[in-house]
Amino acid sequence: MSTADSATIRRKSLKKTITDSRAIQLIILLIGVVILWSLISAIIERPDRYLPSPMTTLFSSVDLLKKGVLLSFYADTLNRLVIGSVIGIALGIPFGLLLGLNRNIADMFYPLMNFFQSVSGIAIFPIIVIWFGNSNTTVMIVILYTSFFPIAFNVLSGVRSVPMRYISAARTLGASRFQIIKDVLLPGAMPSVAIGSRLSIGFAWRAVIAGEMLAGQAGLGNMIFAGQELDNTAQILLGMMLIGLTWIMLDHFLLRPLESDTIERWGLVQR
Amino acid sequence: MTGEAKLIVQGLSHHYPDEYTGESVHALDNIDLQIHENEFVAIVGPSGCGKTTFLNIIAGLLPYREGRALVDGTEIRGPGPDRGVVFQEHAILPWRTVKRNIGHGLEIRRVPKAEREKTVQEYIDLVGLSGFEDRYPHELSGGMKQRVAVARTLCADPVIMLMDEPFAAVDAQTRITLQDELNRVVMATRKTILFITHSVEEAAFLGDRCIVFSRRPGHIKTEVKIDIPREDRVWKDMVDNPKFTEARDNILRLVRSEVTNDVDS
Amino acid sequence: MTTITEFSVAIQRRFGRQRLRKFILGMIPFIVLIFVWHLNSIFVWLDPVEIPPIADVWGAIFWLQSDCPGVIAAIEGHGDCILTNHVSSSILRVILAMVVGVPLGIGFGILAGMNRVVSAYLEPIGVFMNSVSGIAWIPLAVVWFGVGWETTLFIMLNTIFWLLFFNTMMGVRAVPKVLIQGVQTLGGTRLDAILQVYLPGAMTSIITGLRMSMAFGWRALIAAEMIGGDSGLGFMIFVSSSEFKTEEVFLGIILISIIFLATDRWLLVPLEKWTIERWGLVWKPT
Ligand SMILES: Nc1ncnc2c1ncn2[C@@H]1O[C@H](COP(=O)(O)OP(=O)(O)OP(=O)(O)O)[C@@H](O)[C@H]1O
Ligand SMILES: [Mg+2]
Repeated sequence: MSTADSATIRRKSLKKTITDSRAIQLIILLIGVVILWSLISAIIERPDRYLPSPMTTLFSSVDLLKKGVLLSFYADTLNRLVIGSVIGIALGIPFGLLLGLNRNIADMFYPLMNFFQSVSGIAIFPIIVIWFGNSNTTVMIVILYTSFFPIAFNVLSGVRSVPMRYISAARTLGASRFQIIKDVLLPGAMPSVAIGSRLSIGFAWRAVIAGEMLAGQAGLGNMIFAGQELDNTAQILLGMMLIGLTWIMLDHFLLRPLESDTIERWGLVQR
Repeated sequence: MTGEAKLIVQGLSHHYPDEYTGESVHALDNIDLQIHENEFVAIVGPSGCGKTTFLNIIAGLLPYREGRALVDGTEIRGPGPDRGVVFQEHAILPWRTVKRNIGHGLEIRRVPKAEREKTVQEYIDLVGLSGFEDRYPHELSGGMKQRVAVARTLCADPVIMLMDEPFAAVDAQTRITLQDELNRVVMATRKTILFITHSVEEAAFLGDRCIVFSRRPGHIKTEVKIDIPREDRVWKDMVDNPKFTEARDNILRLVRSEVTNDVDS
Repeated sequence: MTTITEFSVAIQRRFGRQRLRKFILGMIPFIVLIFVWHLNSIFVWLDPVEIPPIADVWGAIFWLQSDCPGVIAAIEGHGDCILTNHVSSSILRVILAMVVGVPLGIGFGILAGMNRVVSAYLEPIGVFMNSVSGIAWIPLAVVWFGVGWETTLFIMLNTIFWLLFFNTMMGVRAVPKVLIQGVQTLGGTRLDAILQVYLPGAMTSIITGLRMSMAFGWRALIAAEMIGGDSGLGFMIFVSSSEFKTEEVFLGIILISIIFLATDRWLLVPLEKWTIERWGLVWKPT
């Protein structure tokens, strides 16, 4: 009886993995995409210029790896992302807090922030270039600028969304203003900090790529840009894949788990 | 009853294929049933015995392979306006007003607006929603939403109306009111109805016949006739109507024996 | 004196006390900023190449349009109407991309979302496309289409298509099955189900997609014009920057954000409100 049961369950789980598993679905999808891609590149004229086959694209990575540039590009880009977004977030959190805590300050700076947020990091690039030239500083400023706003706005609304009754409760316990901030408002705003950080890093990722392209600084962005100038389409495709995959990995395995953990742990804000 | 039955089910069985095991869940077993015009048939049975499965097959929402099912003489192939369904809950469109939800069936059939509005108003009045024509579902209570659902189905004028535990999600007080109202509506419209419920009382109160399903695989265990004229079916009188209490206790015993069996094995 | 009081009472009545207070407070930083900017042009703490005087930025409008024969010529796109030509070529691309991309994205999104298997397979593609979309496509687009209209249009189209496709698909997928069944049992066809259930059911999600596509698309378009374009505001500020015409860059940037803010505030937000009212409520799938 029990062996039959466990056999059924085992068979069940096996079939389940085959039909339902995201991993298997992904593999099937991937194979499909690669086949389609190969087909298209086989029929078009001058595939090396317009759409190199998956194999060619893959080999171009071997080439770049041998030259040792691929890894250093990768490291440069990630490095910029981390430094730029960390500084952006570190500046955005206190600013958002300040605005969240004081209605007057918030009303005063909200429109200004809104305006500057809509002046995207990419659009300010030509000015920053005039100020700092085609340099790493320029790229960093663009990243920093882009990542500042999402976190600041989120922290602001996070602090605002802490229910009044928590604050009143703390006050009836005799908490001081500082204690209320530390014990109620900050923890209450934690989920928003997490959500905002993920958004900020997402925006920063786009900004790194654009910044590197525009300012000609070594990295993945410049790799695809150079691919175009060198007529090396395989390098462009490789760079695009790396850009997409890196973001998905980063988001899926680091940022999203962090976000949901924080929300779960600190998610005391009910609406 | 004279004339051809509105719903004819012969030897209907159903197996759900189980994607995981390759084995199948035997949900319905050899159902034979006929429902005649103006009849109100209630189905009760233990949870998971296949009542919803049965109704979904009749509604055409679930394809069947074993047996036959005919409505008005034609084989059931997919859903259609000849069978109106009142679902358990949350099945009216949240972005349409009461009026437009109720008239939806007519709209689908391209009935001209003037005529549609007239018919809709009749049913709004019938289910007691006058004054709420232009409200959206989120502005209504659970009971009112179900009234909209009933009116929507009535308004499409189906040959047979199928109801799957339509009052299960409302509070006890509202349920009693809705049952009384449904009775009134049935008297006024003389609809043929297949009604599924968990509640033995509800079945005995509403049904002309009550079909008791066995536990899974569901088959018809027995049928109890409840021979009370519609006019007499009002809750305040029913509680001490001996015919009602007898039928109710009878059905209850039959259902209980199914449930207890379940526990024993 | 009385007229002033009357006036302020009238304004307060029109806008409400709170909104008036917010408006005035919100203006303060702008005024301070403009004031400091103006001081800089008097005392020249920073070189005019770095921060141009306000008057120069304002003057750049006329300087760029100086050879333009008139309003009619500007509308017709006369070659000498430099500023208006750049503005209209950017806006035209947005309109074109929206006209093509929005129906396509929504259409395919609905079709994909209706089928569980198809949408399960297409979801990762959507995620991938949205994470490379926009800027990272520019070099490839330049290879495919060369520098110019096609590339910039492609970048905008590509960005908004995937955003709308993905958002619509997810919205459609969240529509409860029982609503579809309800329409089917009323005799509704597949088209009825699409128009009356899937589309309104996914509407909040579609609007989110629309606002996102404008936000991301506009940024991507500016970048595309910088790298792979030969006209448009992005192209203009990029060229001006390389020629150190900072006043033109400032002008361009201000126009870029005004155009974006105006579309968002006066078009998309009202559209969002209108649809929400029209469709009855802020309907979110539970
Ligand atoms: N889609 C499905 N796939 C596989 N098995 C199913 C499916 N739907 C229902 N079943 C199984 O079929 C049996 C009958 O289900 P059904 O929903 O018809 O019962 P029911 O009588 O309506 O129950 P309840 O009173 O709880 O509503 C159940 O055992 C259920 O687990
Ligand atoms: Mg059921």
